[in-house]
Amino acid sequence: MSTVPVEYFLIVAAVLFVIGAVGFLLRRNLLVLLMSIELMLNSVNLTLVAYNRIHAANHAGQNLAFFVIAVAAAEAAVGLAIVLAFFRVRKTIHSDEANLLKN
Amino acid sequence: MEVLHHQFPANDFALLAIVLLLPAIGAFVNGIFGKRLGKSAVRLMALSAIGGAFLASLLTFLLLPHDGGRLSWLAWRWMSVNGQSGNLVPIDVKFSVDAMSATMMLVVTGVGFLIHLYSSEYMKDDPGYHRFFCYLNLFCFAMLVLITADNLPVLFVGWEGVGMCSYLLIGFWFGEEKNASAGKKAFIVNRIGDFGLIVAMCLLIYYCGNLSWDGIEKTSLGLLTPVKVWPIGNLSRETLPSFLGAILIPDKPVQVYAATLVALALFLGCAGKSAQIPLYVWLPDAMAGPTPVSALIHAATMVTAGVYLVARMHMVFVLSPAAMAVVAVIGVCTALLAASIGLFQHDLKKVLAYSTVSQLGFMFIGVGVGAFAAGFFHVFTHAFFKACLFLGAGSVIHAMHARIHDTDKSQDMRNMGGLKRYMPITRWTFFISCCSIAGLPLTAGFWSKDEILWSAFSAHVANPAAAVTARMAPYEWPSWLGQAIYWGAVLAATMTSFYMFRAYFMTFHGPFRGWTIVRGWKDPHAGHGHDDHGHDHDREESDKPLEGPEPHESPLPMTIPLVVLAAFAAFAGFLNAHPIHIAPLGHLLEPVFEGAGRFITEREGAKGMMWTMMAPGFAAFLAGTAAAMYVYLNRAGQPERQFAARAGWFYRLVYDKWRIDELYDATVVGMVDALADIFTMADKWLIDGVLARLTALLTALIGTLLRTLQTGRVQVYAAVMLVGLAGVGWFMAVPHAEVAMDDTSLRATGEVKLSAAPGYGYTFRWDGLAATDSQLTDRASVVVRLAPGEKKDVKVSVKNAFGLESVETVSLTRPGLPPGAKAPEAPRVPGMVRPDIPTGEIPADEIHKLLLPRGADQAGEKGEQK
Repeated sequence: MSTVPVEYFLIVAAVLFVIGAVGFLLRRNLLVLLMSIELMLNSVNLTLVAYNRIHAANHAGQNLAFFVIAVAAAEAAVGLAIVLAFFRVRKTIHSDEANLLKN
Repeated sequence: MEVLHHQFPANDFALLAIVLLLPAIGAFVNGIFGKRLGKSAVRLMALSAIGGAFLASLLTFLLLPHDGGRLSWLAWRWMSVNGQSGNLVPIDVKFSVDAMSATMMLVVTGVGFLIHLYSSEYMKDDPGYHRFFCYLNLFCFAMLVLITADNLPVLFVGWEGVGMCSYLLIGFWFGEEKNASAGKKAFIVNRIGDFGLIVAMCLLIYYCGNLSWDGIEKTSLGLLTPVKVWPIGNLSRETLPSFLGAILIPDKPVQVYAATLVALALFLGCAGKSAQIPLYVWLPDAMAGPTPVSALIHAATMVTAGVYLVARMHMVFVLSPAAMAVVAVIGVCTALLAASIGLFQHDLKKVLAYSTVSQLGFMFIGVGVGAFAAGFFHVFTHAFFKACLFLGAGSVIHAMHARIHDTDKSQDMRNMGGLKRYMPITRWTFFISCCSIAGLPLTAGFWSKDEILWSAFSAHVANPAAAVTARMAPYEWPSWLGQAIYWGAVLAATMTSFYMFRAYFMTFHGPFRGWTIVRGWKDPHAGHGHDDHGHDHDREESDKPLEGPEPHESPLPMTIPLVVLAAFAAFAGFLNAHPIHIAPLGHLLEPVFEGAGRFITEREGAKGMMWTMMAPGFAAFLAGTAAAMYVYLNRAGQPERQFAARAGWFYRLVYDKWRIDELYDATVVGMVDALADIFTMADKWLIDGVLARLTALLTALIGTLLRTLQTGRVQVYAAVMLVGLAGVGWFMAVPHAEVAMDDTSLRATGEVKLSAAPGYGYTFRWDGLAATDSQLTDRASVVVRLAPGEKKDVKVSVKNAFGLESVETVSLTRPGLPPGAKAPEAPRVPGMVRPDIPTGEIPADEIHKLLLPRGADQAGEKGEQK
């Protein structure tokens, strides 16, 4: 039985990370930004579990992935709350409008 | 008595702790809680503290051993310093009393108590009542530390403490600029003296290795070391302009005894504290403080600390006749100068201040001619009559304040006169003290001053100990010096009796001139058309009150101290009346100054002249008093006014204190000011301008630049993070060839160890080594061996998992040997430490030295020389 090589996972993870990063840099919709962050975090998760396949006896990679999921959940909650609060103030979720502290 | 002797053994005399701590507690309580306690509690605390200290001092005095020993109490060990050749010099917080310090203790606590009592009434209406008594108690504490100290550093603590209290009390009414600056002046002038004291301590540590009185006395012969001194620092003639250098700097260093240096440095300190030329200028200004303070600190106790110190350090002073001459000459000069200034002052307190400076000069004449007991006895009697005079003056000022609330006008003797009618007790006590200071026979001042005069006339100061060591001829007093000092002192005594009785007559006799100083008073003769007031009487008849309150006698707490002090001023002389052989105090002091006795002998030709030489002193009293009586009592000051009109410039010059303050302002103070100005400029331009402003400007500039990066857009920050991440990634992906070289054994064996920095997935190739192949291996380090004089280049290639490669080249050199020399092979002796071999080339004939143990070669050379 042949298994999928680790490199494939890494390539997929890299592609996901780049999509997330580019999305974060180029889009201006705060919700999309949050989703891009999610994408990057999950690509890292994928990398972690892929490497964990090499060192099967050691579960550090998988453990770390769970941590990342937990942190991502918290981040999403806080992020959404901020977006909501921001929307209440500015009636928009366009990130360039978040300039109240400037000047 | 037996019980007390048992309770307080002489070497652990804890009673001193009570004497010292009571005033300290008083100061603490009044200082911290005084405001809340209220005036009566503050008075109770202060009076009981100083009164208790007086009782304990009295007990101490009674417990003094009769054989002249001392009572000592070690509070705690303080520190020790390194003396000459590494000897440890202990400095302990140790206190001790002998006859001299016990007497001084009685004066400080006794007169101190009377003045506390007086102040409790005098300062009654002052809002700073508790502050005043806190300072006063603190002063007594510091003064007692000074007196009872067993070594110089502890004395110095008290010395500085009294200086600080003096500063605080001169500037007690600091609301006025004049008072605050007078306090500052006293403090700063005293610092100059303190510098001398510190230098003296350092010299004593070096030459004696001791700072306690007993220790210095035992090792004082160490001070007979000749020392070469350049008079002005270590300046050589070349550094100064030639005309200055020729004047100021001699060809060879001056050779003096160490004792002279120590004594002169000590005397600088004493001149500062005891207001001698050139540092006397602070004391007259110090009269800005409340009058009881002038009485206690600036007349009776603190200013005599300098005399006390000279008497205490007599074992050093007697070793140096030159320093003794300086002390005596400065003393007589100060006595004359201050007395001459006192002649024409109008301010009652100023007269007394200059009189104090003058009397301090007398004391220094005493200790300067070796009559330490006489000088100290004058300290003792002066404390009584001068304190009484000051308190009397305070009483007068108190009375004058009934008429006018103005510090200057209420102290001006031209506004007084005729006060004997209103304040008889003050008048009589003032009169008695005047007689005492002027030297009326049988009063205290007569006996002490007369003894100083006689000592100046008769003493022969020599230094037999120096002759014994015979290393250097000691300074010899010229034969006329003693007599010159004597006649100078007689002249000063004449002036003293003149200005004191001038003050007495101007204050208490004649018509009261104080009516005119009340606000709103109008001269009935001056106005043209104001005559319808009905005041028709003559100015000569102005003895009758016009309006407003009369001056009045002071209340009981102020008059009791006056009476007690006047009694002492009259009769204390019999404690040391040598000419009539009644001298209990003198006998008590004899053991203290025993060591000095063999240096001071009676001059040839002075024998049997004691009673004869008393005549000029008595004549001085008669002449001064009679002149003052004629001028101020019979002629009501007319001759003085005539003199002022005829020789106006001279009168003004003396009245302006010979313009010494102006001279100092123009020279020393001006120089310091100029220096301060330069530093201010440096501060303004260099520190503020360059360091502060420029730094701020630079920071602002960088901030402006960096602010452009702070866009506030999340995406820009994320992009920067991404760029940074890419940079880190690139660094990880590229191999780094770095080689560390260990060449510690290069010189000995020619071996060098090269190690390349490790990294994940690295493989290494070492090129240029004959022994290794040029394949990639995981060998991170190699050892290269070089022949002497050989040069070699080693190339390292590092390849990582991505197949990227990095290269570094190391060039190695082994220093060659001198031609014909063999490579040094160190004999390997087990357990022997290899000597440090210096780098560079070593001449072949010196190599064997490196192999010997350290120091062996020098020892060998020395041995050869012997």
